[in-house]
Amino acid sequence: MESRTLKPVLAAYLVAFILFLYGPFFVLGILSFQQGPDGGPQFPIIEWSTYWYRQIFGLTPPSRIAPLPVGEALVRSLVLAFMTMVTSTVLGVMSAQAFRRKFRGSTFVFYLIVLGMMVPGVLTGLGTSLLANNVIGISRHWYTTAFATHVAYTFPFAFLVMLAILNRFDGSVEEASWSLGVNPWTTFRKVTFPLIFPGVLSAMLFAFTLSFDEFPRSLFAAGGTEDQTLPLAIYGTFSVEIHPNIFAFGVLTTLFSFALLSVYGILMALSVRRARKLAMQEDIA
Amino acid sequence: MATETAIFEIDGVSKSYGGVNALDGVTLRAGVNEYMSLLGPSGSGKTTLLRVIAGFEVPDSGRVYFEGRDITSLPANERGIGFVFQNFALFPHLTVRKNVAFGMMHGNTRVSPSEIDARTQSVIDMVGLTGMEDRGVEQISGGQRQRVALARTLVMQPKLVLLDEPLGALDANLRGRMRNELRAIRERMGVTFLHVTGSETEALAMGDSVVVLDRGRIIQAGTPDGVYSTPASPAVAHFLNRFNMFDGNLSQGVFTGPFGAVAVTHATQAKDDVYAIRYDRVQVQPLGAVTSGPALKATYIASEYLGSSVMNYFETADGKLCEVEHHLSLGAPETYEPRQQYLLTWAADQAIVFGKEGKL
Repeated sequence: MESRTLKPVLAAYLVAFILFLYGPFFVLGILSFQQGPDGGPQFPIIEWSTYWYRQIFGLTPPSRIAPLPVGEALVRSLVLAFMTMVTSTVLGVMSAQAFRRKFRGSTFVFYLIVLGMMVPGVLTGLGTSLLANNVIGISRHWYTTAFATHVAYTFPFAFLVMLAILNRFDGSVEEASWSLGVNPWTTFRKVTFPLIFPGVLSAMLFAFTLSFDEFPRSLFAAGGTEDQTLPLAIYGTFSVEIHPNIFAFGVLTTLFSFALLSVYGILMALSVRRARKLAMQEDIA
Repeated sequence: MATETAIFEIDGVSKSYGGVNALDGVTLRAGVNEYMSLLGPSGSGKTTLLRVIAGFEVPDSGRVYFEGRDITSLPANERGIGFVFQNFALFPHLTVRKNVAFGMMHGNTRVSPSEIDARTQSVIDMVGLTGMEDRGVEQISGGQRQRVALARTLVMQPKLVLLDEPLGALDANLRGRMRNELRAIRERMGVTFLHVTGSETEALAMGDSVVVLDRGRIIQAGTPDGVYSTPASPAVAHFLNRFNMFDGNLSQGVFTGPFGAVAVTHATQAKDDVYAIRYDRVQVQPLGAVTSGPALKATYIASEYLGSSVMNYFETADGKLCEVEHHLSLGAPETYEPRQQYLLTWAADQAIVFGKEGKL
């Protein structure tokens, strides 16, 4: 019936959407193979080469174009994202556990947590920097003030993911464990955690990626040049002149993200397959 | 039974959820090595009672004693009371063996690895799961899961095991077999079982004693035989699902119901006047027959073959359904004409009468 006309329209829309989504990345990807060091960030491709990739790793002879000042910033961002991921996931799991029982003021606490992802990043960043400099009087660093803003931002995501997971979690296995004489903490480690692990994985992924390319909060809350995270460092290079080395770097970080997602996908598929086998067995029984 | 031999005791336990009483002053005691069935319709509070004993719920008032100790506020993991869940609640990420050994490996009491292995293997053999030790619990059937749940609990050697409708998730055939096995296992281990069930046949068949629960209160406790032959109230009789029950009026030893006025020799004190007669105590006579006991005109509707007996359904003049059970061991069943009137009759002394003016 109507699907005969609707389907092609939706298909065309989907194709257009995907082109829009991936178009920029393809253009960057192609331009990253521009000839160097004279080729610029525009078409046509003078000659295909891997010059800009080699330049990032310092494998090219020195030229008038300085290598990207991203090495230290990359390490900083990775460490910061890792710290944020661990902290936010631990907090997210703990607070979602707390919400399994209704407690006085739980609605208020819920909105208080979720506020962290609602408030505009620029405000949080600016506010944190003012608080640190003018009120408390401490200096700003990527691992102190910026870290705090990153946690405030990513914690609600981890919390919401864990809340959804624990909502569907059948607590009777925990009660079974208690009745076997196993204390609540060991029960959490040996029963609850292995069963909610797919959710924990999602929360970790959320926290890591959100922190890794966080910009507005870091902009204000991180300190000077020696405290720059990767997004800030890359932005800094834009203000001078754009060379294809940025594109090459972009391709590399995207590949890194895909690798991260693949690991996540594999781990997820394994646990989903186990869950599905369980569900199937229950249908038979 | 004397207090020394009581394994657990509940004293005036109440628990309500949002103003609804799930338990209303329940007092109960079970002896060592006893099989007690807790029977009640859904919503009667039987599962809540079990959860209070296990320590999953804290009662609003009342005390719980186990082996002479007040355990009302003791956490579940320090009670040493086994619990078998209706949905089994096995650890889905562990094998059969790991499920069974779980309590010994991670519990309060230190058990040496060699003893863990020995006890795990012996209880797995006992419940008949030999050869399945390394299967995941998702790779075994419902009945086998039930055994894992039981083995996991029994291996901890608890003095008291609570079973929350443990046979409810099994098919009828398996249910019958597990029923026998549960009894046999319990007798071998010498532990007290408190078995919650919504099925009156299960409760009567399995318990040394039966406790009937309704709306958070115990309405009768006794032996299966005692409960079955002398229900304490119309509610118990109704729940046993074995009685035709007639509303009427009991006054000065005479019960007036749809079958006329009948002299009553003894009646049980109750809030309502109810006359109950067991399905298999009713005889069917042709319409003109002369009867010695009470008689009631009814129209034959249909019959149902139940294997060992036939259930005949009749409808009285005021639209009430009456059931008459004929045991096939007593001979071939009579055949009745649909939509024909018959006379239902019974011996007056076999009726159970409840009334406001009860006397015994």
